[in-house]
Amino acid sequence: MWILRLNMSDRTYRLDAVPEAYKYLGGRGLTSTIVHDEVPPLCHPLGPNNKLVFAPGIVTGTAAPTSARISAGGKSPLTGGIKESNAGSSFAPALARMGIKAIVVEGQPKEKGKYWMAHVTWDAGAGKPKVEFLPADEYAGKGLYEVFPKLYERFGQKASIAGCGVAGEYGFAGAGLVFNDLAKRPSRYSGRGGLGAVMGSKGLKFIVADDTGAPGVTILDKALFDQGRAKLTDALREHAITKPKGALNTYGTAVLINILNEAGGLPTRNFSSGRFEGAAKIAGEAVFEGNKQRLGKELYNHACSPGCIIQCSNTWYKPDGTEHVSCQEYESIWAFGANCGIDSLDDTGELIRLCNDYGLDTIEMGGTIAVAMEAGLAKFGDGKRAIELMHEIGKGTPLGRILGNGAATTGKVFGVVRVPHVKGQNMPAYEPRAVKGIGITYATSTMGADHTAGYTIAPEILSVGGKADPLSPEGKAALSRAFQATTAFIDSTGHCLFIAFAILDIASGFEGMMEECNGVLGTNWKSEDAAKIGAEILKKERAFNEAAGIGKEADRVPEFMKYEPLPPHNQVFDVPDSALDSVYGEL
Amino acid sequence: MLPDVSLYQHDITVDVWLYGSLARYGGDANEGSFAHLEVHLPAGSTLADLLAHLGMPTEERGITFISGQLSAMPGLQPDLDHVLRDGDRVGLFDPKSMWPFQYRHGAMMTEEMAAALAAQEDHGLHHTYT
Repeated sequence: MWILRLNMSDRTYRLDAVPEAYKYLGGRGLTSTIVHDEVPPLCHPLGPNNKLVFAPGIVTGTAAPTSARISAGGKSPLTGGIKESNAGSSFAPALARMGIKAIVVEGQPKEKGKYWMAHVTWDAGAGKPKVEFLPADEYAGKGLYEVFPKLYERFGQKASIAGCGVAGEYGFAGAGLVFNDLAKRPSRYSGRGGLGAVMGSKGLKFIVADDTGAPGVTILDKALFDQGRAKLTDALREHAITKPKGALNTYGTAVLINILNEAGGLPTRNFSSGRFEGAAKIAGEAVFEGNKQRLGKELYNHACSPGCIIQCSNTWYKPDGTEHVSCQEYESIWAFGANCGIDSLDDTGELIRLCNDYGLDTIEMGGTIAVAMEAGLAKFGDGKRAIELMHEIGKGTPLGRILGNGAATTGKVFGVVRVPHVKGQNMPAYEPRAVKGIGITYATSTMGADHTAGYTIAPEILSVGGKADPLSPEGKAALSRAFQATTAFIDSTGHCLFIAFAILDIASGFEGMMEECNGVLGTNWKSEDAAKIGAEILKKERAFNEAAGIGKEADRVPEFMKYEPLPPHNQVFDVPDSALDSVYGEL
Repeated sequence: MLPDVSLYQHDITVDVWLYGSLARYGGDANEGSFAHLEVHLPAGSTLADLLAHLGMPTEERGITFISGQLSAMPGLQPDLDHVLRDGDRVGLFDPKSMWPFQYRHGAMMTEEMAAALAAQEDHGLHHTYT
């Protein structure tokens, strides 16, 4: 296996042997370790010394279910700290099956405004991957819905694509990395933290990978691996949330819109209320019913990437039955819906489609439009004006350049006090004043406010929290620490985090995940090792952030959440700073 | 003849939201993906009384909220005897709905629900209870 280095200063590449210390790493564990080891923490995120790292997970490219995640890492233009953001795409198994443990994009071309792409294929004669650098100027400045079909026409239907849109070319901190879905749409994103701008800053528009002829992933203990994947597959097919025609497959992640709304925890109109009167019109149930009416039949969700058996990704159709966008998921619908006071799925669908086309993070852009609405650039609820603002971003007008750099920047420029961010990253769709546990994770995560940083995975982690009452601030902090560590482990396996739903409740599923990893790597990890391995990853991320000047003082929710009571429960965020500090203080 | 107001003076009005497939219990208020209706009940009515009024067997519902407080999950329904108050908002969800643990940890719940979770193995640190 190799670490593939793409040097964008002179468009050369190198295949390095995998260092011994990286042998058991994959996914987030590997991207964060390489960033920690190689990127100067004080470098400019868009300068020549930042690096962009891609890594498939430990079991990616095998028959392990729901395991086609690609992890991307680098120094974030949005937070100034370390960033890991992952997506489901065939790009991940394509790398894994060619023996590419990671791609490290480094350097920077001297020429400004010129773009290249890297075509990565399997060289059967040499028995290793090869890379061809090609000019990509013809694809610059264009929408990704226009460009992706051209790339597929040129490189064939077996290609997988990683790339950046115009937002990445502009250097926006809200720019995501785009990957193809199974229908070859530009719709799977490592959205958060502005890594699309890091790719753009290196003059790299696309990496096109084709694993035709590649040998596949080496599995050291096939019997153990097969036993593990069977256990995990059974758990996913059995659990109410992950099974076929279960919660995720029927209503998608947006099934949570009505739930959080009833709980009074659905951030509404830029986090000024926890309840949105139009929630039921933009919920997962409404997506399901709307499609049923427009298509004349029930439509269940699809897989975003090869080998996924949860299949939570949806497609939204126009009134005439033609496709509008994939996908309207919880965070994206919320960001442009409740958070902007918009109650139309056709408007949220168009705003999501524009993010996919321009190469933007839906969460950051929804948060930004909401702050812009608060600043008076549009009225809350005005979907048409929100769409116009998105076009300003895509065209790179002066206003668009402010908005494209995210909610915190926009708030500063327009003098808005209520900006719901941590470390510069806008909060996702759970109100910390109503759901205190997630608030602790938002505040302390190495990534900035991130809803995927702390998944509940194993009940044994209660013991990690000692005897603290899980509902006390100290108990919640201890749980958040354990959640963040185990999440970092799952992010390293290559599995989608949604397997966490099944493996928390079905112990054999958790064993199965560990056996899959042991089968591939030849390790002898026990269940309790997941949290330990994850904690080591968090320590590296934390060390990078501290060296970048982001210490515990940054582990706070914004001040307004401490003095503005949130309707309908009229609560403030009252978790003491000491509890927040204990999350990493006691790691 | 004037109506006998004494029959009504102790009534309560409950703001009811039915989600997903439960919208079918909403009668004329059924919007397909949800139903929103006002229900009038005698004072002292419980959640079980509301379900009876709607004609909904309790096993048909999943996650339930009473005025923004989680009161039931599939497999855990400690709220049948919960006495409703005038103006309560009750949200009843399709059994297919979900609310993963990390997204509700620290959210408000009824006293009965808090006690039911505390009595569970692992303090209820699970995504589902079926």
